[in-house]
Amino acid sequence: MTEDAVVLMERVRKRDADAFEALYDAYHRLAYGLAMRMLGDASTAEDVTQAVFVKVWSSPELFRTGNFGAWIARVTRNRALDVIRSRTVRAETDLPQALPESESVEDTAFARIDRELVRSALASLPDEQRRPIEMGFFEGVTHQEIARRTSTPLGTVKTRIRSGLRKLRAQLEMTVTT
Amino acid sequence: MSDLQARGHEDWLDDVAVYALGAMPMQDAQRVRAHIAACEICRREYALLQPAVGALAESAEAFTPGNGPIVASPELKARIMRTVRPERPGAATVPQTDAPVRRSVAPRERPILWPVYLVAAACLAIALISSISDIMLSGQLKQSQAELAQLRSRTNALASALADRQAAISDVLAAGAKHYPVDNGEVVRSGSRLYIAMYDLAAPPRGHVYQAWTLPKGSKTMAPSLTFVPDAHGVAFVSLPAGAPETSAVAVSLEPEGGSKQPTTKPLIVVPLD
Repeated sequence: MTEDAVVLMERVRKRDADAFEALYDAYHRLAYGLAMRMLGDASTAEDVTQAVFVKVWSSPELFRTGNFGAWIARVTRNRALDVIRSRTVRAETDLPQALPESESVEDTAFARIDRELVRSALASLPDEQRRPIEMGFFEGVTHQEIARRTSTPLGTVKTRIRSGLRKLRAQLEMTVTT
Repeated sequence: MSDLQARGHEDWLDDVAVYALGAMPMQDAQRVRAHIAACEICRREYALLQPAVGALAESAEAFTPGNGPIVASPELKARIMRTVRPERPGAATVPQTDAPVRRSVAPRERPILWPVYLVAAACLAIALISSISDIMLSGQLKQSQAELAQLRSRTNALASALADRQAAISDVLAAGAKHYPVDNGEVVRSGSRLYIAMYDLAAPPRGHVYQAWTLPKGSKTMAPSLTFVPDAHGVAFVSLPAGAPETSAVAVSLEPEGGSKQPTTKPLIVVPLD
């Protein structure tokens, strides 16, 4: 699918609307699902999905190569974070960084991996590792906020995030190779 | 490496994980990004964790507040596709036909007759009000246009600076980039571009700055390049104007504010490029 997406994006750069439509059909559930998970509101999630795909059409050069799904997820997460920012009155220092959109995810090992596999890999993590990862990625909060909300020392939160991500990577690798 | 140093690097690796997850405050993220660009170990860790974070989004695709599958409305696709395929050229919005166009004619109403002097007075009043409003609006419009142009110019400059910065960082992280490690940082050659990435760099003494130097190929004299100072976290990331193919070495020295034409102190780093 990733190879296809790369080819489709090359056609989108040449203003091929059919290629764009094929990309939308293949990836809109990913963008919409992520936006819904982060924002919890169907109408805003649709607005975010629309903004993401309009951006794919208007600035296709932002995607260089690599894992298209991971790239579209980054763009979606960043747009959803913008919405979260506009909704809250958190200080600028409490807001998490946007994920780099011009940087390609070279590793395509997990491109379009089955969502159930990711969910089960995530579920297999100990709660103390899974929770901060989910909060950090889906709720748009910083590790400092996670530490506050879970009453855990900052250093411990960081270490748990790292251990959790490493375990997740290992679990996914096992799943992909077996 | 001492235990303390090892622990120090473990802290960096933990920070890299938080950065890869996208859960780091913006200002700290900049520091970690610069460190990743300059540290091979952290770059490897980032490359290891980044795809796992990318896969996380896939788990959201199945998320449902109730039990049904998440589905965006069909109107969403229609809205988006309208942006992509606006109106096909040649597709007429008004039906065209060779037959003569027939207009419905409303029954004519009896015209209201006004005395001529009243019409003339009303026209004069309207003309006067219109001229005064025009002058006022024209002034306001000019001011708004000037402000808008200024704002647009600032936004463009900011967007351009951000794009440059992102492109530079992507260059440094690119698989084909060549890294020349030095104490607390490295010089990076990526394609035809050259970068200096430093961390834990002490603030220069008052009245001084760091200055980059490049040695053009075939020359024996260093050419002055950009001056810079590290940020509050000791991080400095400099994109050098000199092209990599024409440069045989890069150096950095401490110089008086404003820079020097030739190095006046012993360079902190000298990196020959092969």
